[in-house]
Amino acid sequence: MSALRQAPAADGAAAPGASGIRIDTVTHAYRSPGRPPVIALDRISLDIGPTEFHALLGPSGCGKSTLLYLLGGFIPVQEGAITTPKGRVTAPGPERSIVFQNFALFPWKTVRENVLYGLRKSGVGREESEARARDFIALVHLTGFEDAYPSQLSGGMQQRAAIARTLAVDPKILLMDEPFGALDAQTRRVMQEELRAIWQRSPKTVVFVTHDVQEAVFLADRISIMSSRPGRIQHILDVPLPKERGEDTLESREFIQLSEHIWRLVREQAVAATRGRL
Amino acid sequence: MAGSAQNTAVPVGAEAKPAPPRSRLGRRRPGAFLDLSVQVGVVLALCLAWEAGARLGAINPFLLPPLTDVLARIGEDAASGAVFVDLGLTLYRALLGFFIAAVIGIPVGILMSRVAVVRWFFDPLLSVGFPMPKVAFLPIFILWFDIYDTSKVIMVAFSCFFPIAAATYAGTTGLDKWPIWSARSFGAKEVEILWEVNLPMALPQILTGLQVALPVGMITTVVTEMLMGGRGIGGSMIMAGRFADSVGVFAGIVEIVALGFLVVKSLELLRARLLAWHPETRR
Repeated sequence: MSALRQAPAADGAAAPGASGIRIDTVTHAYRSPGRPPVIALDRISLDIGPTEFHALLGPSGCGKSTLLYLLGGFIPVQEGAITTPKGRVTAPGPERSIVFQNFALFPWKTVRENVLYGLRKSGVGREESEARARDFIALVHLTGFEDAYPSQLSGGMQQRAAIARTLAVDPKILLMDEPFGALDAQTRRVMQEELRAIWQRSPKTVVFVTHDVQEAVFLADRISIMSSRPGRIQHILDVPLPKERGEDTLESREFIQLSEHIWRLVREQAVAATRGRL
Repeated sequence: MAGSAQNTAVPVGAEAKPAPPRSRLGRRRPGAFLDLSVQVGVVLALCLAWEAGARLGAINPFLLPPLTDVLARIGEDAASGAVFVDLGLTLYRALLGFFIAAVIGIPVGILMSRVAVVRWFFDPLLSVGFPMPKVAFLPIFILWFDIYDTSKVIMVAFSCFFPIAAATYAGTTGLDKWPIWSARSFGAKEVEILWEVNLPMALPQILTGLQVALPVGMITTVVTEMLMGGRGIGGSMIMAGRFADSVGVFAGIVEIVALGFLVVKSLELLRARLLAWHPETRR
Protein backbone atom coordinates (compact mmCIF):
# COMPACT_ATOMS: atom_id res chain seq x y z
CA MET A 1 0.00 0.00 0.00
CA SER A 2 2.84 2.35 -0.75
CA ALA A 3 0.61 4.48 -2.94
CA LEU A 4 -1.52 5.44 0.04
CA ARG A 5 -0.84 8.26 2.35
CA GLN A 6 -2.62 7.94 5.61
CA ALA A 7 -3.15 11.29 7.23
CA PRO A 8 -4.12 11.92 10.84
CA ALA A 9 -7.47 13.55 11.39
CA ALA A 10 -6.12 17.02 12.06
CA ASP A 11 -4.07 17.17 8.86
CA GLY A 12 -6.33 18.92 6.38
CA ALA A 13 -5.44 19.13 2.70
CA ALA A 14 -6.31 22.77 2.27
CA ALA A 15 -4.56 25.71 3.82
CA PRO A 16 -6.56 27.55 6.52
CA GLY A 17 -8.66 30.32 5.08
CA ALA A 18 -8.98 28.64 1.69
CA SER A 19 -11.16 26.04 3.30
CA GLY A 20 -14.52 25.12 1.82
CA ILE A 21 -15.75 23.77 5.12
CA ARG A 22 -13.90 23.71 8.42
CA ILE A 23 -15.23 21.39 11.09
CA ASP A 24 -13.63 22.16 14.44
CA THR A 25 -13.98 19.65 17.29
CA VAL A 26 -17.68 19.13 16.82
CA THR A 27 -19.39 16.93 19.38
CA HIS A 28 -23.05 16.05 19.12
CA ALA A 29 -25.19 14.11 21.56
CA TYR A 30 -28.79 13.01 21.29
CA ARG A 31 -30.51 13.42 24.61
CA SER A 32 -33.79 11.88 25.62
CA PRO A 33 -35.24 12.25 29.11
CA GLY A 34 -34.49 9.44 31.52
CA ARG A 35 -31.74 7.94 29.42
CA PRO A 36 -28.00 8.51 29.15
CA PRO A 37 -27.17 10.74 26.16
CA VAL A 38 -26.06 8.99 22.97
CA ILE A 39 -22.84 10.52 21.66
CA ALA A 40 -23.43 10.57 17.90
CA LEU A 41 -20.29 12.54 17.07
CA ASP A 42 -17.21 12.76 19.24
CA ARG A 43 -14.79 15.67 18.66
CA ILE A 44 -14.89 15.64 14.87
CA SER A 45 -12.31 17.87 13.18
CA LEU A 46 -12.02 18.02 9.43
CA ASP A 47 -11.04 20.55 6.79
CA ILE A 48 -12.58 20.12 3.38
CA GLY A 49 -11.12 22.07 0.47
CA PRO A 50 -13.16 24.51 -1.65
CA THR A 51 -13.14 22.19 -4.67
CA GLU A 52 -12.81 18.91 -2.84
CA PHE A 53 -14.99 15.86 -3.30
CA HIS A 54 -15.04 14.36 0.16
CA ALA A 55 -16.67 11.06 1.11
CA LEU A 56 -17.79 10.21 4.65
CA LEU A 57 -17.66 6.44 4.85
CA GLY A 58 -18.82 4.34 7.74
CA PRO A 59 -21.25 1.76 9.04
CA SER A 60 -24.84 2.70 9.69
CA GLY A 61 -25.29 4.53 12.96
CA CYS A 62 -21.83 6.11 12.92
CA GLY A 63 -23.26 9.61 12.84
CA LYS A 64 -22.33 10.44 9.25
CA SER A 65 -25.85 11.65 8.47
CA THR A 66 -25.85 13.68 11.70
CA LEU A 67 -22.60 15.32 10.59
CA LEU A 68 -24.16 16.14 7.22
CA TYR A 69 -27.28 17.67 8.86
CA LEU A 70 -24.98 19.79 11.04
CA LEU A 71 -23.14 20.95 7.91
CA GLY A 72 -26.50 21.78 6.35
CA GLY A 73 -27.50 23.77 9.42
CA PHE A 74 -30.64 21.70 9.94
CA ILE A 75 -29.72 20.80 13.51
CA PRO A 76 -27.88 23.20 15.81
CA VAL A 77 -24.20 22.71 16.57
CA GLN A 78 -23.91 21.84 20.27
CA GLU A 79 -20.14 21.89 20.76
CA GLY A 80 -17.40 23.05 18.44
CA ALA A 81 -17.89 25.05 15.27
CA ILE A 82 -18.49 24.61 11.59
CA THR A 83 -17.36 27.43 9.31
CA THR A 84 -17.69 28.03 5.59
CA PRO A 85 -16.50 31.06 3.59
CA LYS A 86 -19.92 32.54 4.46
CA GLY A 87 -19.13 32.31 8.16
CA ARG A 88 -20.32 30.07 10.94
CA VAL A 89 -23.06 27.61 10.10
CA THR A 90 -26.08 28.27 12.29
CA ALA A 91 -28.98 27.71 9.88
CA PRO A 92 -29.62 26.31 6.41
CA GLY A 93 -28.43 28.56 3.62
CA PRO A 94 -28.78 28.56 -0.15
CA GLU A 95 -25.03 28.20 -0.66
CA ARG A 96 -25.27 24.73 0.91
CA SER A 97 -27.71 22.43 -0.85
CA ILE A 98 -28.54 18.93 0.16
CA VAL A 99 -29.85 15.75 -1.41
CA PHE A 100 -31.56 13.64 1.22
CA GLN A 101 -31.54 9.88 1.44
CA ASN A 102 -35.33 9.77 1.12
CA PHE A 103 -35.61 12.29 -1.75
CA ALA A 104 -37.67 14.89 0.17
CA LEU A 105 -39.39 16.01 -3.01
CA PHE A 106 -42.56 18.08 -2.75
CA PRO A 107 -45.23 15.48 -3.53
CA TRP A 108 -47.76 18.12 -4.68
CA LYS A 109 -45.39 19.49 -7.32
CA THR A 110 -44.50 17.88 -10.62
CA VAL A 111 -40.88 17.04 -11.43
CA ARG A 112 -40.57 20.33 -13.30
CA GLU A 113 -42.18 22.38 -10.51
CA ASN A 114 -39.91 20.70 -7.96
CA VAL A 115 -36.79 21.68 -9.91
CA LEU A 116 -38.16 25.18 -10.50
CA TYR A 117 -38.82 25.71 -6.79
CA GLY A 118 -35.16 25.79 -5.84
CA LEU A 119 -34.28 27.96 -8.84
CA ARG A 120 -37.02 30.50 -8.15
CA LYS A 121 -36.05 30.67 -4.48
CA SER A 122 -32.45 31.46 -5.40
CA GLY A 123 -33.66 34.38 -7.49
CA VAL A 124 -33.09 32.95 -10.95
CA GLY A 125 -35.36 34.61 -13.56
CA ARG A 126 -38.34 32.82 -15.03
CA GLU A 127 -36.94 32.03 -18.46
CA GLU A 128 -33.51 31.07 -17.20
CA SER A 129 -35.18 28.85 -14.57
CA GLU A 130 -37.22 27.05 -17.21
CA ALA A 131 -34.15 26.47 -19.35
CA ARG A 132 -32.06 25.22 -16.45
CA ALA A 133 -34.87 22.97 -15.22
CA ARG A 134 -35.09 21.44 -18.69
CA ASP A 135 -31.32 20.88 -18.83
CA PHE A 136 -31.06 19.27 -15.43
CA ILE A 137 -34.12 17.08 -15.95
CA ALA A 138 -32.46 15.88 -19.15
CA LEU A 139 -29.21 15.34 -17.27
CA VAL A 140 -30.85 12.89 -14.88
CA HIS A 141 -32.70 11.26 -17.80
CA LEU A 142 -36.19 12.31 -16.77
CA THR A 143 -37.13 14.07 -20.00
CA GLY A 144 -40.73 13.09 -20.74
CA PHE A 145 -41.58 12.94 -17.04
CA GLU A 146 -41.55 16.69 -16.37
CA ASP A 147 -45.27 16.75 -15.62
CA ALA A 148 -45.37 13.60 -13.53
CA TYR A 149 -45.93 13.83 -9.79
CA PRO A 150 -43.41 12.09 -7.50
CA SER A 151 -45.99 9.48 -6.51
CA GLN A 152 -46.17 8.42 -10.17
CA LEU A 153 -42.43 7.70 -10.31
CA SER A 154 -40.30 4.81 -9.09
CA GLY A 155 -37.95 5.38 -6.16
CA GLY A 156 -34.95 5.70 -8.45
CA MET A 157 -36.68 8.29 -10.62
CA GLN A 158 -37.75 10.29 -7.56
CA GLN A 159 -34.18 10.35 -6.35
CA ARG A 160 -32.95 11.51 -9.75
CA ALA A 161 -35.53 14.29 -9.69
CA ALA A 162 -34.28 15.32 -6.23
CA ILE A 163 -30.69 15.35 -7.51
CA ALA A 164 -31.71 17.51 -10.47
CA ARG A 165 -33.51 19.92 -8.13
CA THR A 166 -30.40 20.33 -5.98
CA LEU A 167 -27.82 20.45 -8.80
CA ALA A 168 -29.86 23.00 -10.75
CA VAL A 169 -29.24 25.73 -8.17
CA ASP A 170 -25.47 25.15 -8.56
CA PRO A 171 -24.61 25.45 -4.86
CA LYS A 172 -21.10 26.25 -3.65
CA ILE A 173 -21.34 23.35 -1.25
CA LEU A 174 -23.18 20.16 -2.17
CA LEU A 175 -24.19 17.80 0.62
CA MET A 176 -25.35 14.32 -0.33
CA ASP A 177 -26.76 11.74 2.07
CA GLU A 178 -26.47 8.33 0.39
CA PRO A 179 -28.22 9.80 -2.64
CA PHE A 180 -27.85 6.72 -4.80
CA GLY A 181 -29.01 4.23 -2.17
CA ALA A 182 -32.42 3.73 -3.78
CA LEU A 183 -31.10 3.28 -7.31
CA ASP A 184 -30.53 -0.01 -9.09
CA ALA A 185 -26.93 -0.98 -9.85
CA GLN A 186 -26.80 0.25 -13.46
CA THR A 187 -28.50 3.57 -12.73
CA ARG A 188 -26.24 4.09 -9.74
CA ARG A 189 -23.15 3.60 -11.91
CA VAL A 190 -24.45 6.09 -14.50
CA MET A 191 -25.33 8.64 -11.83
CA GLN A 192 -21.91 8.28 -10.17
CA GLU A 193 -20.17 9.02 -13.45
CA GLU A 194 -22.52 11.94 -14.12
CA LEU A 195 -21.96 13.39 -10.66
CA ARG A 196 -18.19 13.17 -11.01
CA ALA A 197 -18.42 14.79 -14.46
CA ILE A 198 -20.68 17.58 -13.17
CA TRP A 199 -18.28 18.23 -10.32
CA GLN A 200 -15.37 18.46 -12.76
CA ARG A 201 -17.22 20.87 -15.03
CA SER A 202 -18.21 23.08 -12.12
CA PRO A 203 -15.91 22.37 -9.18
CA LYS A 204 -17.43 22.79 -5.75
CA THR A 205 -17.21 21.34 -2.28
CA VAL A 206 -19.00 18.02 -2.15
CA VAL A 207 -19.58 16.07 1.04
CA PHE A 208 -20.90 12.67 0.11
CA VAL A 209 -22.15 10.27 2.78
CA THR A 210 -22.11 6.59 1.88
CA HIS A 211 -21.50 3.14 3.28
CA ASP A 212 -20.45 1.79 -0.11
CA VAL A 213 -16.63 1.54 -0.26
CA GLN A 214 -16.42 1.37 -4.07
CA GLU A 215 -18.72 4.36 -4.44
CA ALA A 216 -16.55 6.38 -2.07
CA VAL A 217 -13.33 5.44 -3.86
CA PHE A 218 -14.76 6.06 -7.31
CA LEU A 219 -16.18 9.49 -6.47
CA ALA A 220 -14.00 11.10 -3.84
CA ASP A 221 -10.65 12.85 -3.63
CA ARG A 222 -10.46 12.13 0.06
CA ILE A 223 -12.30 9.69 2.26
CA SER A 224 -12.99 9.94 5.98
CA ILE A 225 -13.61 6.58 7.56
CA MET A 226 -15.85 6.86 10.57
CA SER A 227 -16.43 4.53 13.50
CA SER A 228 -19.66 4.25 15.36
CA ARG A 229 -20.75 4.82 18.95
CA PRO A 230 -19.31 7.32 19.49
CA GLY A 231 -18.92 8.56 15.92
CA ARG A 232 -15.28 9.42 15.28
CA ILE A 233 -13.13 9.90 12.23
CA GLN A 234 -10.67 7.01 12.37
CA HIS A 235 -8.78 7.53 9.12
CA ILE A 236 -8.57 10.15 6.41
CA LEU A 237 -7.27 8.79 3.12
CA ASP A 238 -6.30 10.46 -0.13
CA VAL A 239 -7.57 8.82 -3.27
CA PRO A 240 -4.63 9.01 -5.70
CA LEU A 241 -6.68 8.17 -8.78
CA PRO A 242 -6.69 10.32 -11.93
CA LYS A 243 -9.18 13.22 -11.93
CA GLU A 244 -10.96 11.84 -14.97
CA ARG A 245 -12.73 8.71 -13.91
CA GLY A 246 -14.84 6.29 -15.89
CA GLU A 247 -15.49 2.69 -16.67
CA ASP A 248 -11.74 1.81 -16.81
CA THR A 249 -11.09 3.37 -13.41
CA LEU A 250 -13.07 0.59 -11.83
CA GLU A 251 -10.79 -2.03 -13.38
CA SER A 252 -7.51 -0.28 -12.59
CA ARG A 253 -5.10 -1.85 -10.10
CA GLU A 254 -5.04 1.25 -7.91
CA PHE A 255 -8.82 1.32 -7.61
CA ILE A 256 -9.04 -2.35 -6.64
CA GLN A 257 -6.15 -2.17 -4.17
CA LEU A 258 -7.45 0.98 -2.53
CA SER A 259 -10.97 -0.42 -2.29
CA GLU A 260 -9.65 -3.57 -0.62
CA HIS A 261 -7.52 -1.59 1.80
CA ILE A 262 -10.44 0.65 2.76
CA TRP A 263 -12.76 -2.30 3.00
CA ARG A 264 -10.43 -3.85 5.60
CA LEU A 265 -10.37 -0.59 7.58
CA VAL A 266 -14.16 -0.31 7.49
CA ARG A 267 -14.53 -3.93 8.46
CA GLU A 268 -12.27 -3.39 11.49
CA GLN A 269 -14.61 -0.60 12.60
CA ALA A 270 -17.67 -2.73 12.06
CA VAL A 271 -16.20 -5.68 13.94
CA ALA A 272 -15.07 -3.45 16.79
CA ALA A 273 -18.52 -1.88 16.97
CA THR A 274 -20.23 -5.28 17.06
CA ARG A 275 -17.90 -6.47 19.80
CA GLY A 276 -18.49 -3.33 21.80
CA ARG A 277 -22.22 -3.92 21.70
CA LEU A 278 -22.11 -7.60 22.71
CA MET B 1 -44.98 2.86 -13.72
CA ALA B 2 -43.35 -0.47 -12.88
CA GLY B 3 -39.87 -0.97 -14.26
CA SER B 4 -39.49 2.64 -15.27
CA ALA B 5 -36.08 2.88 -13.64
CA GLN B 6 -34.73 1.00 -16.66
CA ASN B 7 -35.52 4.06 -18.74
CA THR B 8 -32.20 5.52 -17.72
CA ALA B 9 -30.44 3.78 -20.57
CA VAL B 10 -32.77 5.26 -23.17
CA PRO B 11 -31.26 8.26 -24.93
CA VAL B 12 -32.56 11.55 -23.70
CA GLY B 13 -35.32 13.08 -25.75
CA ALA B 14 -36.32 9.83 -27.40
CA GLU B 15 -40.04 9.62 -27.96
CA ALA B 16 -39.87 6.13 -26.48
CA LYS B 17 -40.65 7.79 -23.15
CA PRO B 18 -44.08 9.33 -23.32
CA ALA B 19 -45.22 11.37 -20.38
CA PRO B 20 -47.13 9.19 -17.96
CA PRO B 21 -50.87 9.69 -18.16
CA ARG B 22 -51.93 12.45 -15.83
CA SER B 23 -54.68 11.15 -13.65
CA ARG B 24 -57.89 12.87 -14.51
CA LEU B 25 -61.18 13.13 -12.79
CA GLY B 26 -63.61 10.51 -13.84
CA ARG B 27 -60.99 8.38 -15.49
CA ARG B 28 -62.79 5.09 -15.98
CA ARG B 29 -61.29 2.08 -14.35
CA PRO B 30 -62.58 -1.31 -15.42
CA GLY B 31 -65.90 -2.03 -13.76
CA ALA B 32 -66.56 1.60 -12.91
CA PHE B 33 -69.51 1.75 -15.28
CA LEU B 34 -70.95 -1.44 -13.80
CA ASP B 35 -70.48 0.00 -10.31
CA LEU B 36 -72.34 3.15 -11.22
CA SER B 37 -75.19 1.39 -13.00
CA VAL B 38 -75.76 -0.96 -10.06
CA GLN B 39 -75.84 2.00 -7.66
CA VAL B 40 -78.29 3.91 -9.82
CA GLY B 41 -80.31 0.69 -10.20
CA VAL B 42 -80.62 0.28 -6.43
CA VAL B 43 -81.92 3.85 -6.05
CA LEU B 44 -84.40 3.33 -8.89
CA ALA B 45 -85.57 0.03 -7.40
CA LEU B 46 -86.23 1.71 -4.04
CA CYS B 47 -88.18 4.48 -5.78
CA LEU B 48 -90.22 1.87 -7.65
CA ALA B 49 -90.94 -0.05 -4.44
CA TRP B 50 -92.05 3.22 -2.81
CA GLU B 51 -94.33 4.07 -5.72
CA ALA B 52 -95.75 0.54 -6.02
CA GLY B 53 -96.27 0.20 -2.26
CA ALA B 54 -98.25 3.43 -2.08
CA ARG B 55 -100.24 2.88 -5.32
CA LEU B 56 -101.25 -0.70 -4.56
CA GLY B 57 -102.63 0.33 -1.18
CA ALA B 58 -100.09 -1.67 0.84
CA ILE B 59 -99.33 1.52 2.72
CA ASN B 60 -101.68 4.25 3.79
CA PRO B 61 -101.04 7.04 1.25
CA PHE B 62 -101.26 9.63 4.01
CA LEU B 63 -98.35 8.00 5.85
CA LEU B 64 -96.36 7.44 2.65
CA PRO B 65 -97.72 9.32 -0.38
CA PRO B 66 -96.72 7.92 -3.79
CA LEU B 67 -93.42 9.22 -5.13
CA THR B 68 -95.10 10.56 -8.28
CA ASP B 69 -97.38 12.76 -6.12
CA VAL B 70 -94.34 14.05 -4.28
CA LEU B 71 -92.53 14.75 -7.55
CA ALA B 72 -95.63 16.44 -8.93
CA ARG B 73 -95.70 18.72 -5.88
CA ILE B 74 -92.04 19.58 -6.37
CA GLY B 75 -92.91 20.34 -10.00
CA GLU B 76 -95.73 22.68 -8.98
CA ASP B 77 -93.54 24.43 -6.41
CA ALA B 78 -90.76 24.71 -8.97
CA ALA B 79 -93.18 26.31 -11.44
CA SER B 80 -94.23 28.86 -8.81
CA GLY B 81 -90.59 29.38 -7.82
CA ALA B 82 -91.18 28.47 -4.16
CA VAL B 83 -88.74 25.55 -4.31
CA PHE B 84 -85.94 27.76 -5.48
CA VAL B 85 -86.52 30.33 -2.76
CA ASP B 86 -86.47 27.58 -0.10
CA LEU B 87 -83.52 25.71 -1.61
CA GLY B 88 -81.63 28.94 -2.20
CA LEU B 89 -82.16 30.15 1.37
CA THR B 90 -81.15 26.82 2.87
CA LEU B 91 -78.10 26.57 0.62
CA TYR B 92 -77.11 30.15 1.37
CA ARG B 93 -77.31 29.63 5.14
CA ALA B 94 -75.47 26.30 5.00
CA LEU B 95 -72.66 27.54 2.74
CA LEU B 96 -72.23 30.91 4.44
CA GLY B 97 -71.97 29.23 7.85
CA PHE B 98 -69.60 26.64 6.40
CA PHE B 99 -67.34 29.31 4.87
CA ILE B 100 -67.26 31.35 8.06
CA ALA B 101 -66.30 28.19 9.95
CA ALA B 102 -63.55 27.42 7.41
CA VAL B 103 -62.19 30.98 7.49
CA ILE B 104 -61.95 30.83 11.28
CA GLY B 105 -61.32 27.10 11.80
CA ILE B 106 -58.40 26.62 9.40
CA PRO B 107 -56.27 29.46 10.86
CA VAL B 108 -57.14 28.33 14.39
CA GLY B 109 -56.00 24.79 13.55
CA ILE B 110 -52.75 26.09 12.04
CA LEU B 111 -52.08 28.38 15.00
CA MET B 112 -52.78 25.53 17.41
CA SER B 113 -50.01 23.49 15.82
CA ARG B 114 -47.55 26.40 15.96
CA VAL B 115 -48.33 28.51 19.03
CA ALA B 116 -48.47 26.88 22.45
CA VAL B 117 -50.81 29.49 23.94
CA VAL B 118 -53.38 28.97 21.20
CA ARG B 119 -53.10 25.20 21.66
CA TRP B 120 -53.60 25.48 25.42
CA PHE B 121 -56.69 27.58 24.88
CA PHE B 122 -58.38 25.65 22.07
CA ASP B 123 -57.37 22.05 22.77
CA PRO B 124 -59.75 21.61 25.74
CA LEU B 125 -62.46 23.57 23.91
CA LEU B 126 -62.24 21.22 20.93
CA SER B 127 -62.22 18.15 23.17
CA VAL B 128 -65.36 19.26 24.97
CA GLY B 129 -67.06 20.88 22.01
CA PHE B 130 -66.58 18.21 19.36
CA PRO B 131 -68.92 15.57 20.85
CA MET B 132 -71.38 18.13 22.21
CA PRO B 133 -74.72 18.48 20.35
CA LYS B 134 -74.25 22.00 19.02
CA VAL B 135 -77.98 22.55 18.38
CA ALA B 136 -78.39 22.67 22.15
CA PHE B 137 -76.99 26.18 21.92
CA LEU B 138 -79.80 27.34 19.64
CA PRO B 139 -81.95 28.95 22.36
CA ILE B 140 -78.92 30.96 23.47
CA PHE B 141 -78.09 32.02 19.93
CA ILE B 142 -81.72 33.09 19.40
CA LEU B 143 -81.48 35.11 22.59
CA TRP B 144 -78.20 36.70 21.50
CA PHE B 145 -78.66 37.09 17.76
CA ASP B 146 -82.45 37.27 17.17
CA ILE B 147 -84.51 34.78 15.19
CA TYR B 148 -83.54 35.76 11.66
CA ASP B 149 -80.67 34.74 9.40
CA THR B 150 -77.85 35.82 11.71
CA SER B 151 -78.55 33.30 14.43
CA LYS B 152 -79.09 30.51 11.87
CA VAL B 153 -75.82 31.20 10.09
CA ILE B 154 -73.95 31.50 13.38
CA MET B 155 -75.47 28.21 14.49
CA VAL B 156 -74.20 26.54 11.31
CA ALA B 157 -70.75 28.12 11.56
CA PHE B 158 -70.54 27.03 15.19
CA SER B 159 -71.22 23.38 14.35
CA CYS B 160 -68.88 23.35 11.33
CA PHE B 161 -66.01 24.98 13.23
CA PHE B 162 -65.14 21.95 15.35
CA PRO B 163 -64.45 19.34 12.66
CA ILE B 164 -62.57 21.90 10.53
CA ALA B 165 -60.33 23.19 13.34
CA ALA B 166 -59.67 19.69 14.69
CA ALA B 167 -58.74 18.27 11.26
CA THR B 168 -56.51 21.25 10.41
CA TYR B 169 -54.76 20.95 13.77
CA ALA B 170 -54.18 17.23 13.21
CA GLY B 171 -53.08 17.83 9.61
CA THR B 172 -50.56 20.56 10.40
CA THR B 173 -49.09 18.78 13.44
CA GLY B 174 -46.20 16.39 13.09
CA LEU B 175 -45.64 17.00 9.39
CA ASP B 176 -42.93 15.08 7.58
CA LYS B 177 -39.81 17.19 8.16
CA TRP B 178 -38.01 16.35 4.92
CA PRO B 179 -39.93 18.62 2.52
CA ILE B 180 -39.64 21.39 5.13
CA TRP B 181 -35.88 20.89 5.36
CA SER B 182 -35.68 20.89 1.56
CA ALA B 183 -37.48 24.21 1.32
CA ARG B 184 -35.29 25.65 4.07
CA SER B 185 -32.11 24.58 2.28
CA PHE B 186 -33.28 26.45 -0.82
CA GLY B 187 -33.54 29.57 1.32
CA ALA B 188 -37.31 29.68 1.87
CA LYS B 189 -38.39 31.88 4.77
CA GLU B 190 -40.59 30.48 7.53
CA VAL B 191 -43.71 32.30 6.26
CA GLU B 192 -43.07 30.98 2.76
CA ILE B 193 -42.65 27.48 4.15
CA LEU B 194 -46.04 27.76 5.87
CA TRP B 195 -47.77 28.65 2.59
CA GLU B 196 -45.69 26.66 0.16
CA VAL B 197 -44.95 23.52 2.15
CA ASN B 198 -46.98 23.07 5.33
CA LEU B 199 -50.39 23.87 3.86
CA PRO B 200 -50.09 21.70 0.74
CA MET B 201 -48.81 18.88 2.93
CA ALA B 202 -51.76 19.25 5.32
CA LEU B 203 -54.30 19.78 2.54
CA PRO B 204 -55.61 16.18 2.45
CA GLN B 205 -56.53 16.35 6.13
CA ILE B 206 -57.91 19.89 5.92
CA LEU B 207 -60.15 18.77 3.06
CA THR B 208 -61.29 15.79 5.11
CA GLY B 209 -62.27 18.22 7.87
CA LEU B 210 -64.24 20.29 5.36
CA GLN B 211 -65.91 17.15 4.01
CA VAL B 212 -67.01 16.20 7.51
CA ALA B 213 -68.19 19.73 8.25
CA LEU B 214 -70.28 20.29 5.12
CA PRO B 215 -72.99 17.64 5.80
CA VAL B 216 -72.96 18.75 9.44
CA GLY B 217 -73.68 22.26 8.17
CA MET B 218 -76.55 21.07 5.98
CA ILE B 219 -78.08 19.11 8.86
CA THR B 220 -77.72 22.04 11.23
CA THR B 221 -79.31 24.41 8.72
CA VAL B 222 -82.40 22.25 8.22
CA VAL B 223 -82.80 21.51 11.94
CA THR B 224 -82.40 25.19 12.78
CA GLU B 225 -84.98 26.15 10.15
CA MET B 226 -87.36 23.52 11.53
CA LEU B 227 -86.99 24.83 15.05
CA MET B 228 -87.21 28.50 14.14
CA GLY B 229 -89.68 28.42 11.24
CA GLY B 230 -89.73 30.91 8.37
CA ARG B 231 -88.62 30.24 4.83
CA GLY B 232 -86.11 27.57 3.88
CA ILE B 233 -86.63 23.86 3.36
CA GLY B 234 -86.69 23.03 7.06
CA GLY B 235 -89.24 25.78 7.71
CA SER B 236 -91.55 24.76 4.88
CA MET B 237 -91.40 21.11 5.96
CA ILE B 238 -92.47 21.99 9.49
CA MET B 239 -95.20 24.17 7.99
CA ALA B 240 -96.42 21.27 5.82
CA GLY B 241 -96.32 18.99 8.86
CA ARG B 242 -98.51 21.36 10.86
CA PHE B 243 -101.09 21.33 8.07
CA ALA B 244 -100.97 17.52 7.92
CA ASP B 245 -99.65 17.86 4.37
CA SER B 246 -97.56 14.67 4.15
CA VAL B 247 -96.88 15.20 0.42
CA GLY B 248 -95.33 18.55 1.31
CA VAL B 249 -93.14 16.97 4.00
CA PHE B 250 -91.91 14.32 1.61
CA ALA B 251 -91.31 16.93 -1.08
CA GLY B 252 -89.01 18.69 1.40
CA ILE B 253 -87.19 15.44 2.12
CA VAL B 254 -86.61 14.71 -1.56
CA GLU B 255 -85.41 18.28 -2.14
CA ILE B 256 -82.95 18.24 0.73
CA VAL B 257 -81.65 14.80 -0.30
CA ALA B 258 -80.97 16.10 -3.81
CA LEU B 259 -79.37 19.31 -2.55
CA GLY B 260 -77.20 17.51 0.00
CA PHE B 261 -76.02 15.01 -2.59
CA LEU B 262 -75.13 17.78 -5.03
CA VAL B 263 -73.22 19.86 -2.49
CA VAL B 264 -71.28 16.96 -0.97
CA LYS B 265 -70.45 15.56 -4.41
CA SER B 266 -69.10 18.94 -5.55
CA LEU B 267 -66.71 19.02 -2.62
CA GLU B 268 -65.58 15.49 -3.49
CA LEU B 269 -64.81 16.62 -7.04
CA LEU B 270 -62.97 19.66 -5.71
CA ARG B 271 -60.89 17.34 -3.53
CA ALA B 272 -59.96 15.15 -6.50
CA ARG B 273 -58.99 18.28 -8.44
CA LEU B 274 -56.86 19.72 -5.61
CA LEU B 275 -55.23 16.40 -4.76
CA ALA B 276 -54.42 15.34 -8.32
CA TRP B 277 -50.87 14.78 -7.07
CA HIS B 278 -51.96 12.46 -4.27
CA PRO B 279 -51.86 8.66 -4.70
CA GLU B 280 -55.47 8.48 -3.40
CA THR B 281 -56.71 10.19 -6.57
CA ARG B 282 -55.36 7.41 -8.76
CA ARG B 283 -56.96 4.51 -6.92
